[in-house]
Amino acid sequence: MLTTRKRVVATAVMLAGSLLLTSCGDSDSGSSGDGKTLKLWHYEAPNSAMGLAWNEAIKEFKAKHPGVKVEFEEKGFEQIQKTAPMVLNSSDAPDVMEYNKGNATAGLLSKQGLLTDLSAEVTKRGWDKKLSASVRTTSVYDANGVMGSGKWYGVPNYAEYTMVFYNKDLFAKYKIPEPKTFDELTAAMDTFVKNKVTPLANGGAEYIAQQYLYQLALSKANRAWVDSYELYKGKTDFHDAAWTYAADTFADWVKKGYIGKTSSNVKAEETGVSFIQGKAPILFSGSWWYGRFVDEAKFDWGTFLWPESNLTLGSGGNLWVVPKGAKNKELAYDFIDITMSEKIQNLLGNKGGVPVAADTSAITDPKSKTLIDNFNTLSQRDGLAFYPDWPVPGFYDVLVSETQKLITGSEQPDGYLDALQEAYDKGVPKQ
Amino acid sequence: MTVTVERGVTSKQPHAGHPRRPRDSYALFLLPGVLAFLVVIIVPFLMNTGVSFTDWQGVGSPEWSGLANYRELLDDSEFWASFRHSLFMVVAMAAVPTAVGLVLAAALFDYVGKHFGSKTVAVLRACFYLPQVLPIAVAGIVWSWILAPDNGSLNELLKAIGLSSWQQDWLGDPDIALYSVMGVMVWVQLGFPLVIFMAGLQRVDPQLHEAAELDGAGWWRRFWHITLPQIRPEIYVVLTWCTIAALKVFGAVYVLTKGGPGGATNVPSYFSFTTFFEKTQVGYGAAISTVLTVMILLLSLIGLKLQTRAEEREGS
Repeated sequence: MLTTRKRVVATAVMLAGSLLLTSCGDSDSGSSGDGKTLKLWHYEAPNSAMGLAWNEAIKEFKAKHPGVKVEFEEKGFEQIQKTAPMVLNSSDAPDVMEYNKGNATAGLLSKQGLLTDLSAEVTKRGWDKKLSASVRTTSVYDANGVMGSGKWYGVPNYAEYTMVFYNKDLFAKYKIPEPKTFDELTAAMDTFVKNKVTPLANGGAEYIAQQYLYQLALSKANRAWVDSYELYKGKTDFHDAAWTYAADTFADWVKKGYIGKTSSNVKAEETGVSFIQGKAPILFSGSWWYGRFVDEAKFDWGTFLWPESNLTLGSGGNLWVVPKGAKNKELAYDFIDITMSEKIQNLLGNKGGVPVAADTSAITDPKSKTLIDNFNTLSQRDGLAFYPDWPVPGFYDVLVSETQKLITGSEQPDGYLDALQEAYDKGVPKQ
Repeated sequence: MTVTVERGVTSKQPHAGHPRRPRDSYALFLLPGVLAFLVVIIVPFLMNTGVSFTDWQGVGSPEWSGLANYRELLDDSEFWASFRHSLFMVVAMAAVPTAVGLVLAAALFDYVGKHFGSKTVAVLRACFYLPQVLPIAVAGIVWSWILAPDNGSLNELLKAIGLSSWQQDWLGDPDIALYSVMGVMVWVQLGFPLVIFMAGLQRVDPQLHEAAELDGAGWWRRFWHITLPQIRPEIYVVLTWCTIAALKVFGAVYVLTKGGPGGATNVPSYFSFTTFFEKTQVGYGAAISTVLTVMILLLSLIGLKLQTRAEEREGS
């Protein structure tokens, strides 16, 4: 018989053990579903172009699948970004989920065997024929989780790219014509500086600043340079002509006052708001702002692609992925198919998104038409060059931190490029 | 078998010869706490320590890498810089609030209480304590507005009073950002020592102060020779508690600066977080958090030891 103390200890150990077993869960249950429920996660705001389109797709799915219940959970981008590997490794995985594309995200999960290989389904349903080559790049991953070749692990239904947003009213106020060339763009910025207006909306604490820098590099780069940097098809030298030009020009722009010296700790949201409030006349950023500017900007504004650059930041949008442990995969494929349908793609286009398979004649909104026309221009010239933080996990933080130093002047361009080189070389996959 | 029966009888008849020891009955009450501690603290800590010896990306099979992560940590300048920043945080969250909290508590207790009444003291105490109640995310966002470079309240205030030359990019200048975060943390932390010290002052025998006052001791001498020694236990508790809080500070840095600009405000917990989730170097992140936990444990033990020694000295 046990003494009271021993009984207490034994009970504690048993309880702790059972609690632990419960908390660990069955990580590989993957039991087949009943075909009656589609568990779906995405993180688009309900009033965004994508949110509206996906909600319409859910309605369409329900109409086509009477008796099937859609369990939709709205998640946050950060929430999915930070917890996806753990969730997908458990029995709580959804049937279909929106997920970020790139080597460090979808690539990593595919490499770890957490995503379903969609190759057969993609061919069967003809999704591959609807996606252009540059949009398709982020859907396929090789055995090392590197995008660009290999099996299909995700399907994007929209695309995104960066452009110059400009405040037409402010340009008119200072009698500045819309810049058509790079020189005209810098001349416009000079005029703003002379009038004590900081021309570029910038945010050093998040992605905005590093995207200016990458765009400057892209204006001196070509596809082979991008493939080398993003797909490891060659050695990336951060002291080459393109990167050196980018770092020198960026630092020079801070000195000239094109970029505010006090923008080092400004977040992306504040940057966008400064444009919406009419404080900054120019913002270089992505199509994800488009719908919001249409809604909230109270002045006349327009967009143009970065002058004299064949390449710009952009890619296929976030991916629909089917977790390996999904219980109702057929329903998941049906849902993806609906989001690729012309009806949903046209809706996405008319709400300020960049659809990948829309009928352009059905896009009636003039601003949306410009957005899509610009994308088609880019797509035709193979101009999507992805994002600077993609090649190496954790490179986003390095870029933020180092670019902040460039803004504050606590680092010179040469040292900046050294730091990028070191972090890149450390994180790039050894093949 | 005989032994078993005897023990069984004994346990059923606690008052027959062998009274049940109080410790046994207390153990039952401790059980939920022990279980929770085991499941929430000890097991995850051991698992984290185990992971720190692997090269793991958070999914798939971890590969045993021995002490590689710890060796890398020793040469990681970013890690050591984050620890240096932690020491600044100890100043901001433990040293300064304890010193200022002591003076404020004594002033509220001895002066404000006597001249303006206990209600005024209660209101002031609540005001000082308010930042402790506010979620750090809310406080951080408000402070980031106050400290904004272009139209932040602080810079606007400086301009309004003719001190435009004092305007700064408080959170964006790497030479100033850490001090700005420290300033916010002093504001956040001050209420805690103040409340503890005011509670401590309640138990100081007023006759000691009266006697000293009759002997001609001024406020400062009474504070130094009576108040301080009398509330020494509270000071130890506050210092230990606040130092631990400073070493694991995360929320404020996350909301105010995200470790920037250029890593100027990075601290170990934030560094560990980005290593875990941004770089997906789970093994390395686990090594950082293990080292951080061990350091916090050591500091806590040293604090407790010092406190015990001081109490023993006073007792003897």
